[in-house]
Amino acid sequence: MISLFERYDACPNRFFDEVLAPDGKPRGHYDKMVHRFGQFSLDDIRTRRQIVNIFFRNQGITFTVYGVEEGIERIFPFDLIPRIIPSHEWANIEKGLIQRITALNEFLADIYSNQKILKDRVLPAELVLGSKHFRREFVGIKPPLGVYIHVTGSDIIRDADGHYLVLEDNLRTPSGVSYMLQNRQALKRAFPVLFDRYKVRPIDNYPQELLRTLQEISPTSRPEPNVVLLTPGIYNSAYFEHSFLARQMGVELCEGRDLVVNNNKVYTRTTRGLQRVDVIYRRVDDDYLDPLVFRPDSKLGVAGLINAYRKGNVALANAIGTGVADDKVIYSFVPKIIRYYLGEEPILDNVDTWLASNPKDLKYILENLEKLVVKAANESGGYGMLVGPESTLEERERFAEKIVANPRNYIAQPTISLSRHPSFFNDSDLGGCHIDLRPYVLYGKSPTIVPGGLTRVALKRGSLVVNSSQGGGSKDTWVIDE
Amino acid sequence: MLSRVAESLFWMSRYVERAENTARFLEVNFNLLLDLNDITEIDHPNYWSPLIRVTGDPANFTERYAEYNAHTVTDYLVFNRQNSFSINSSIGLARENARSIIDSISSEMWEQVNNLYHFLQSVTPQQVHNDPFSFYREIKNASHLFQGITDNIFSRTEEWDFIQIGKYLERADNTARLIDVKYHMLMPKEGREHDPVLDSFDTIQWMAVLKSCSALEAFRKVYLSKIDPENILWFLVLDRTFPRSIAFSVCAAQEALWRISGSSRHRYANNADRLIGKMEAELSYTSVEDMYRKGLHYYLEEIEIGLNRIGEQIHLLYFAYHTPKIEPHDIAEALPFTGLAGGRANWSQSQQQQQ
Repeated sequence: MISLFERYDACPNRFFDEVLAPDGKPRGHYDKMVHRFGQFSLDDIRTRRQIVNIFFRNQGITFTVYGVEEGIERIFPFDLIPRIIPSHEWANIEKGLIQRITALNEFLADIYSNQKILKDRVLPAELVLGSKHFRREFVGIKPPLGVYIHVTGSDIIRDADGHYLVLEDNLRTPSGVSYMLQNRQALKRAFPVLFDRYKVRPIDNYPQELLRTLQEISPTSRPEPNVVLLTPGIYNSAYFEHSFLARQMGVELCEGRDLVVNNNKVYTRTTRGLQRVDVIYRRVDDDYLDPLVFRPDSKLGVAGLINAYRKGNVALANAIGTGVADDKVIYSFVPKIIRYYLGEEPILDNVDTWLASNPKDLKYILENLEKLVVKAANESGGYGMLVGPESTLEERERFAEKIVANPRNYIAQPTISLSRHPSFFNDSDLGGCHIDLRPYVLYGKSPTIVPGGLTRVALKRGSLVVNSSQGGGSKDTWVIDE
Repeated sequence: MLSRVAESLFWMSRYVERAENTARFLEVNFNLLLDLNDITEIDHPNYWSPLIRVTGDPANFTERYAEYNAHTVTDYLVFNRQNSFSINSSIGLARENARSIIDSISSEMWEQVNNLYHFLQSVTPQQVHNDPFSFYREIKNASHLFQGITDNIFSRTEEWDFIQIGKYLERADNTARLIDVKYHMLMPKEGREHDPVLDSFDTIQWMAVLKSCSALEAFRKVYLSKIDPENILWFLVLDRTFPRSIAFSVCAAQEALWRISGSSRHRYANNADRLIGKMEAELSYTSVEDMYRKGLHYYLEEIEIGLNRIGEQIHLLYFAYHTPKIEPHDIAEALPFTGLAGGRANWSQSQQQQQ
């Protein structure tokens, strides 16, 4: 066994360790990497750590933490040890995700047109139509190519047996892809030697793929469709990502006030007058998109945008109303949705889910709160959740009241001990940290996935929450050809 | 280019220049006081109140401070975020503008503004008081570095032109204000007895004015040691070779405006070009005599007002969002029209939860 890993305890009885097999030996695809890390001294690690920190700070790769009076900018913590996914496992993830996204897209197309799935009583209509993110206004409107979810980032975890499970489908405005790209750059800079014995599949073409996807959904026949990226502005926690992607794609980064609608067409306001826009990659939530249709107090949106969209003069990625399909209540029906639309068995499994709206489940939830993770159906980013085993009695009681008051809004899942991956707590101490995986699926003419994704890691000792707003970090993620 | 991007480029550059000028005013005042140390008391309000007049708003100052002295004026002009002209405010705003167009400027430019911002956050009032010269030099150098980086690596596109316009309009305005504050000194004095003490006192002040524009050495090359008010006025207002003079700055801004609009001499494309052309022509054919005849204060005030007008026209022409005409059938189809969304994106709204 090798120096850095000597003191590392994988706890094989309690967790699935990504790197070490239960017998304490590195898994085949990690063998060379463990060996490499064994050759580094602590000084080496410290030097590389500094290279990485400077890289991130100079690039301004920070995110903003909310909840304090003024946003605080932090560097998104990056862990030096990459996560490796062998190609046969990846092939399965890829197939499973494409199946899932295809089915979810069919589902959206259906509930925004004939609602056949509701008529066939596969899903309770009240759960779909009553979802906070169901947009009644868009029933009967068909987006270009019939595609609703152009960019998605499903969260995948591994349980104690190493099975890949889908935890959430993020179908609205998933973020984090810039970290996926920058992590690779940072690691290449800090540890070029790590790469020399692995065939790591490249991910750098993501921005080009994204641009191609966006151009494919242009509703107009103009030869060079004008694509813009719509950001809520510099105070948004993902602003860095918005500017990064705009720069990488070579498209204009717009705020709502840069766009104007005239005669149901969308234009950018430029120093040379108005210029027509064909496709908007919007990173603004539905609620804020158009003050005439949604929240009238929104200052982030564009008045008239929705009418232009309805008229088919502009495409939005993602389409409006996709949130209904990543509602955590609807999530529990995804296996049924896959069977219904595709006639196939789901390749990737769901995490068991209890719905508080179902009286039998509600009883179970309330009786087992200390064992469960309870989530609000429509929140994201780790907000509005209760992690049972880590909560106090008082917190549980308060949460129980909320659940009873609004059962439709809550679901519960067993506390899954996410797989662990050795990570640096500091420069000398290697510890097992829980991780997840967020691959990004692009869907224009057909769904595609860049091989890799963002591996988020819970760097707080023992924590299960990997969200950046809750102290999580990330790792470079390698899909390798063996 | 997006109007918003043009506007942010303009203001980013303008705020950096403003911070530099404020640093210059303060640095020179300290210099001056050291020179005058024998003659008078250095914390005298008379030496500090003009600085507040230069930068705009004495009422705003007296609301917050009991008296004018080195401490209060430094605090107000360097640190006070309530004072929108303070170095702290200027750099904060420059950074915010840069951040909002981070995809359109080079990363080196962003890093420079960002570094300057973080440097300012790390400085305490006590440090500035102990060693004002190092501090002001640091600010000036940082501004020079920013413009130098821009000069060396930024493509000569429309973006570049907006950066130039911001810089030179601010500089012309600051030079005019600076002379304006000292105008009573520079006016010819009638009926005053020749007084060697007062004369040397004046010379020191004139030199201070020149120094605050980094103009003393350049001036000497032209006029050797003949430091008199007329030469100084000519040099700071009308000289065509010194890059901080009003005429030079106006001319540079005009060239940038012409490149954007395609105007040329005798053919202006818009109101901004017309106004700046007029100002440039006037500066070409004015003499120091003319300034005296008009009254120096009045003359400089006209320049300041003229620069403001040019700024307004640039705003209307390139930054302000032309509200398109709304066709009646649009209204019939849409829900009630509540006006276009505009203004700074609301802080709380932009914090949507991210997936």
